[in-house]
Amino acid sequence: MPDNSGYYHAAYIAAAAIYSLYAASIWWRARRTASDLLAGREGDRS
Amino acid sequence: MPPSGNAARAPSRVHRPVLDWTFWAAAALTCATFVRAVAFTPVEATQGPAQKIFYVHLPAAWVAFLAFFIVALTSAIYLWLRDERLDLVAASSAEVGVVFTTVVLVTGPLWGRPVWGTWWTWDARLTSTLFLWLIYLGYLVLRGAVDDRAMRARFSAVLGILGALLIPFIHLSVYLFRTLHPMPIVGKPGRPNLPSEMLTTLLLALASFTLLYAAMLRARYRLAVQRAALEQEGAD
Repeated sequence: MPDNSGYYHAAYIAAAAIYSLYAASIWWRARRTASDLLAGREGDRS
Repeated sequence: MPPSGNAARAPSRVHRPVLDWTFWAAAALTCATFVRAVAFTPVEATQGPAQKIFYVHLPAAWVAFLAFFIVALTSAIYLWLRDERLDLVAASSAEVGVVFTTVVLVTGPLWGRPVWGTWWTWDARLTSTLFLWLIYLGYLVLRGAVDDRAMRARFSAVLGILGALLIPFIHLSVYLFRTLHPMPIVGKPGRPNLPSEMLTTLLLALASFTLLYAAMLRARYRLAVQRAALEQEGAD
């Protein structure tokens, strides 16, 4: 049996990293958008 | 037009967390699938451990096709009904689909190198998958480049539908052309030819990746609603 476990470890780590970074990007963009919305609404009130 | 005007302004919709329990449940199930594939699924004798890349690569490809099919479907209905919520679902699905296609394009060469002896070959399946990725990357660039919301939705709907026409071609490319890519193991007439332990892992991976797609689509749609509300308030 060929010893090529390094490739499959790399593939699993790459997939996990891509999904995690994308989820983090959604969270980060939502946080920034929510704070922009809040700032806009506070600006309207004052 | 934001999603039905009032929907975009409603505080309960705009301020709810984008990554809710559905996302964390899907993430936990995906982690469990990874553990099962790594520790509890037998190693294939000919290809060695690299064969386990299959449990990530194939489900990611299935979800990418599903995501782009949803783009085409919601885009077509948008062109009929002109409801902006459909445009936001299409845009969200396209972005998630690009992420899953990126996983396909990264894990494929990592399997190809030890099994084929090359990272990449310009055969029909690989090249058309790369085209699909580029089309939906172009779709996202187009959405960022057009300011007028109605025009942006209309143009991207047309591109979203045209891009999805490539999906049946990609699926059939292994039958239509001589390619290095293996023939389908599932998604073909007849029973899948896999040992039961491997088939169970594959089915679990298909289910968990589909759930992950649904959770990411839901989260990305919530972000799109927030952004539409911000855009609307900026216009007011």
